[in-house]
Amino acid sequence: MKKVLMGTEAAAVAAKLARIQVVSAYPITPQTVVVENLSDMIGKGELDARYMTVESEHSAMASCIGASAAGARAFTASSSQGLALMHEVLHYAAGGRFPIVMVNANRALAPPWNLYCDHTDSLAQRDTGWIQYYCADVQDVLDAVLIAFRVAEQVLLPVMINMDAFYLTHTSEVLDVPDQIAVDEFLPPFRPDHKLDVNHPRTFGNVCGADLYTSIKYQRQRDMLTVESLWKQSAEEFEIKFGRMHPAVDAYRHEDAEVLIVGIGSVAGAMHLAADRLREDGLAVGSLRLAMVRPFPLTGFLEATATVKHMVVIDRDVSFGAEGIIAQEIKAALAEHRRHIQTDGFIAGIGGKDLTSEKIIGFVLQAINKEGAAVRAGLSLWAEVLP
Amino acid sequence: MASKKKVLSLSQLPTSPFTIDSMAWNQTGDWRYLTPLVADKMAPCSQGCPMGISIPVCLNAVKQGDLLKSLSILYNANPLPAFTGRLCYHPCQTVCVRRKLDRAVSIRGMERFLSEQNCEAVVQKQAQNGKRVLVIGSGPLGLSCAYFLGRWGCQVTVQEPSAQNGGAFRNILTQKIDSQIIDTEVDKLTQLVDFDIELCVSIDIDTIEDRLATFDLIILDPTGLAGDLPCPGRSVVVNPFEKAPVCGDILVPLLPKKLMPLKGPMIAHYIAAGRLTAEIGMNRVDPSSCAHVMPTGRTVKAENIRPGMIIYSKPSGSAESDGNIEWDQARVFREAERCLSCGTCNMCRRCISFCPDASINPDPDGNFVEIDLIHCKGCGICAYECPRGVITMEENQQ
Repeated sequence: MKKVLMGTEAAAVAAKLARIQVVSAYPITPQTVVVENLSDMIGKGELDARYMTVESEHSAMASCIGASAAGARAFTASSSQGLALMHEVLHYAAGGRFPIVMVNANRALAPPWNLYCDHTDSLAQRDTGWIQYYCADVQDVLDAVLIAFRVAEQVLLPVMINMDAFYLTHTSEVLDVPDQIAVDEFLPPFRPDHKLDVNHPRTFGNVCGADLYTSIKYQRQRDMLTVESLWKQSAEEFEIKFGRMHPAVDAYRHEDAEVLIVGIGSVAGAMHLAADRLREDGLAVGSLRLAMVRPFPLTGFLEATATVKHMVVIDRDVSFGAEGIIAQEIKAALAEHRRHIQTDGFIAGIGGKDLTSEKIIGFVLQAINKEGAAVRAGLSLWAEVLP
Repeated sequence: MASKKKVLSLSQLPTSPFTIDSMAWNQTGDWRYLTPLVADKMAPCSQGCPMGISIPVCLNAVKQGDLLKSLSILYNANPLPAFTGRLCYHPCQTVCVRRKLDRAVSIRGMERFLSEQNCEAVVQKQAQNGKRVLVIGSGPLGLSCAYFLGRWGCQVTVQEPSAQNGGAFRNILTQKIDSQIIDTEVDKLTQLVDFDIELCVSIDIDTIEDRLATFDLIILDPTGLAGDLPCPGRSVVVNPFEKAPVCGDILVPLLPKKLMPLKGPMIAHYIAAGRLTAEIGMNRVDPSSCAHVMPTGRTVKAENIRPGMIIYSKPSGSAESDGNIEWDQARVFREAERCLSCGTCNMCRRCISFCPDASINPDPDGNFVEIDLIHCKGCGICAYECPRGVITMEENQQ
């Protein structure tokens, strides 16, 4: 069924289609609409789930962990400062192997106070052990939540579905909303082998000595590394059923590309346009949206970058004292090619600045010509800085 | 005890980090340096009660619907509930913790209701010890004294100079209580512990010493005999509220000034004085056995009772109008529900819920909780959480 929905509304509809059983969240702009819509659905009796009101994001995640441990399909949503407050329990959710799905609205971290798009909030949670997916558009939000639950419950790891503040959260798109019956076929009920059970008591998250700790962490890393292929399988099944593709590595005109523009999130559209226009000018340019950041989709990335000589990476985030976080990720992965590939990282579009195709073309030209408006700070070039 | 399960390969590890077998091998009781002590404490109401009735225990029995048990607990300390239930100034209610919430539990009203139940309390009685005791005067002190001595194995006779039991106290009783209820109450008592009251007995104080040929001990009842008590030969004046051994076989209890002249609302003090006089008498006639026949009573004060915690535990019931209403059974059950059971375990199971080591368990019949000291780490959460102040953390308790 076609519907016009914002990203926040699409996330709520997806959670409903996934038949979540527990939602626990704390409001924060620009995520709030997600959980407002869910509370409406539960209040009207359209969704048979428990809505737990809590006093903080930390408690919201803790509630989801408890619900998941008890065998319920749990969902939450957060953003920015709220996600930062959750940090401790994010580790717990992943370490406890609870397949929670969270929608995060990527918003800038204060100070200075800012409600708009920036990826540092979720990228700062990169090492918590969550699977991270960054959406390109509103349809991607809806579909990715459904795929996320399926993958999460297969591998018993939590998934963070990220959508750009306002560009996706508050932008309406015409969507294809799948039928409940079709979604039920794609996403079977959550039936964990082990859960909290008073008749078979066991301690979850118990103490573990050095004798087993390393092996438990190794096991988690091994499982996490299967996620790229698990996502591929589920995304392919999703494509067969619903006709839409959601790959972990979303590459465009990359087959013969020498220059590849790389970014995450809603910038994908502008990157496509920039590649098209630069091709018209005779440059072999493609684009690559890293949909999955954790686990790093190394197989897909290496395939998509086989011919590349020059990478232009756009970061809506920064790791202070180093460079853009995605640029670091890309450089680490490119080392696997064992050949020299020029990499230029741009910090741009943070705190709500628009990233247009014109700007991206400017980045590519600056990377090639070694001159342009962006100013250097360490390894990165910063666009849009005051003179 | 189960032994620790060894994990030798990755395939034996569970996906999620949870325990894969019993953890009972881990005897964490070794870590403990403070040990929880589960022991009922004397509630403020019981401390306030001159007779020391275990009021929360009594009301918990009402909550369980067991009126006979409740009545028996009442009779354990109070032989005349029909009188106290009507006359007593109820200091128990003055100190009731529930006042901090809404209004004191109507303990006296329930006591009166229990006294009117048509069932016979079950009281503990010791074997006959062959001692004979004569109590002269059938006021509340004399009756109480006779009741306790009778329960402790003495053969008791009460002699009353006047034509009606109650003696000098009778006039005070009849101001508030029907004569028929008075007689029924005293009859119940004589049946419970099997002693006789002889009415219209003329007492010749000058020759009373001679009666020691028949009796081992004679006690004069200041609440039964009018006027100042005489002090015949071989008699000794005792202050019932001082536990001092006496030399003399005729006990003349001297009541403190605040209890004289006789006052109806002070009846519980007379009954208490009767019990204390009985203890002194018992010490005199049978010092060897009194240690085990007379329970010393619980003297631990309920210092751990925290009204804030009790209120946090969501006490049930709400205050009802305290006007002149009939105490029917339903009302009594509702009122008993309001009792917060201070210092007295009422199996709320809060400690069981909070114990992080699952080391507190109810006994098979669900009457009390037991601590598994093999695994209890002594964290003290149970003591902190117990709304009734029953659990305390103690040193040197293993």
